[in-house]
Amino acid sequence: MIKVENLYHSYNNNEKFQAKNVSFEIKEGEVFGFLGPSGAGKSTVQNILTGLLPLQKGKVTVDGYDLKQVHNKRFNRIGVSFEQSNIYSKLTALENLKYYADLFDVPTRDPEELLKLVGLEGKGNDRAGSFSKGMKHRLTFARSMINNPKIWFLDEPTTGLDPAIAATIKDIIRSEKAKGTTSFLTTHNMYIADELCDRVAFIIDGEIKLIDTPKNLKQQYGEKLVEIEYVKEGEIYKETLKTVDDSDKEKIANIIKSYEIKTMHSKEATLEEIFIQVTGRGLI
Amino acid sequence: MKMFSSYLKEMKIASRGFYFYIEILVAVILLLVVLFAINPEPDGKQVEYLYYDMSDEVFDYLVDKDITEGRARWIDDTEFELNPIAFELKNEDTGKVVSYDFKDSKTVTARTFVGLREKTGKIGKTAHILDSEEDALRLSFQNGNVAATTTVNEEGDFSYRYFLQGYETDRYSNMLYVLHTYSQDEIDAQMDTQVIRETGANTVPMDNQEAVVPIFVVIAGALMGIFIIMAYVFLDKDEGVIKAFAVTPSSIWNYLVTKIFVVMTTVIISSTIIVIPIMKLRPNYLLFYLFLLVTTFAFSSLGLLISSFFDTISKAFGVLYTIMITLALPAFSYYISSFDPVWLRFFPTYPALQVMKDLLMGQGDIANVILYSLVFLVSGILLLAMANSRFKKTLTV
Ligand SMILES: Nc1ncnc2c1ncn2[C@@H]1O[C@H](COP(=O)(O)OP(=O)(O)OP(=O)(O)O)[C@@H](O)[C@H]1O
Ligand SMILES: [Mg+2]
Repeated sequence: MIKVENLYHSYNNNEKFQAKNVSFEIKEGEVFGFLGPSGAGKSTVQNILTGLLPLQKGKVTVDGYDLKQVHNKRFNRIGVSFEQSNIYSKLTALENLKYYADLFDVPTRDPEELLKLVGLEGKGNDRAGSFSKGMKHRLTFARSMINNPKIWFLDEPTTGLDPAIAATIKDIIRSEKAKGTTSFLTTHNMYIADELCDRVAFIIDGEIKLIDTPKNLKQQYGEKLVEIEYVKEGEIYKETLKTVDDSDKEKIANIIKSYEIKTMHSKEATLEEIFIQVTGRGLI
Repeated sequence: MKMFSSYLKEMKIASRGFYFYIEILVAVILLLVVLFAINPEPDGKQVEYLYYDMSDEVFDYLVDKDITEGRARWIDDTEFELNPIAFELKNEDTGKVVSYDFKDSKTVTARTFVGLREKTGKIGKTAHILDSEEDALRLSFQNGNVAATTTVNEEGDFSYRYFLQGYETDRYSNMLYVLHTYSQDEIDAQMDTQVIRETGANTVPMDNQEAVVPIFVVIAGALMGIFIIMAYVFLDKDEGVIKAFAVTPSSIWNYLVTKIFVVMTTVIISSTIIVIPIMKLRPNYLLFYLFLLVTTFAFSSLGLLISSFFDTISKAFGVLYTIMITLALPAFSYYISSFDPVWLRFFPTYPALQVMKDLLMGQGDIANVILYSLVFLVSGILLLAMANSRFKKTLTV
């Protein structure tokens, strides 16, 4: 559905790239996660895919359309949920959805039903401007589904939402996946990536460091970790070390020899730990 | 269909914002100001060239009476330069046409008095008394003011002859009488009054109230389109809704044109509020609205182009302000007829004001109107095309 080859992007058109040699492919029906810390370039790549940013260098095809050319019609099959909610504050929630629906040439979903889906039932006739941040975000999210998209771009769909609502949003994404919708999801929340994505890409400083399924990643990295808690000069230290790494092995031996061990167990790594291992940086 | 739905949405948003009401409020306030604070007739500046065809005794008697009764006051004599001039007059009563053709230049001195308003004692008119009817006539046509001859026959009856430029309203002619410094009982001498107009000139110029209308329609209407459309676009940029729009099958073109329709609607409403009560049935409304639409279209397209270069209205403000003030300059020339430099004519608002004035007066060469409409239309399309290609690049950044 989506194919990106050697994509580069520089906002200031100079040699400092905010996306560097990005390549990946998303198959139909797949939920693909873009995982990386703030400023990594996740939104930049997504905005190129949705045509919000011009394609500077590289080859990108989305749904069979080469992005070198502008094809407005392709948006009939695309839905975009924005990182920052962007709705008409002067229109009511229902009006926002209705007028948006009118912009498409394909059958659209019932606005009332969408509002209900994201927990905004009964708010349809309120001005969107009077909504809380989370409500606006949900309205933006609901709007992205109005045209029954086959390709769905979700930029931080659950960020800033309370856990219950975030769970609702996750359920919606899962049920869309069950319908066969292809999704491109950016997040810096590894739980979301773990729970929802078929595959994740680790991105940092505009570069993809790794692409794999969460399961593979955990198998590959997870079982070979040891978490040690020990007392050194009266203070408790905690370290997570790799059992395959020579220097780590030496460290483990050293700790056991020299200090008092409080706890020690091998564990399955979280995606976050794997991310730190792979990229050397956290998912802040 | 898409376009109409977007238009309805934009109108709904506009009607919930305050720019829309500001335009309408300004129109209503201006209408009230014009109707209640502006005297439609020229005030205090009226100038007449008079010739008294009577003996000095009668003349002195008349003038003395006016002066002692406080209706007039002598001021310094005035010198006039008479230039060669040719014109043709038609006597409205007899239908007789007389041609005049003066080839000489000369200087004449006129005794001058000012007529004083009865209630206020303010100067109501300035009258220059010439030595011959011909001189009065020449001055009248040279300077565009009224000339009058007063005659007394042997029986002591007065008769008046007015020489008008041909465009004065009836109300104006009647007022000549009231303003005249002769006592009331002599006004029935109107029976003997002859009104002589220049042939061919039969358009009534705008009175003081009407003269405000073209300025409002062009400067506060069409030109204001630049500002209103920018306000709308930046509101959208601010809310980020343009991004949402950009990921639909609808084109940016559709978005921009919809915005222009909204501004056109606003301008039509506010202009109508002013135009209909003041101009009444005088204008050619079909051509007027046509011209209003094309000028508004061109100026709003310009506004779109400007807004494509900036991401917030505060950054755009300097440029917006400069352009608006510059384009409003021809308004000065419209009011101050001595300020009419050639370079001013290259400002689009200059012809817009002239054409609008003609249309509102119910005259104007249709071919000329069509020509200028086409110029504005084509410029508008070009500006819109440029704005469109720029917006495609910058709308969403
Ligand atoms: N309009 C812009 N002009 C210049 N630089 C930009 C612009 N937008 C983003 N950047 C830069 O590009 C880099 C990537 O930004 P991007 O928004 O893609 O990050 P992100 O991964 O989506 O981060 P977040 O998790 O905070 O949303 C950052 O260094 C950012 O400063
Ligand atoms: Mg982002």
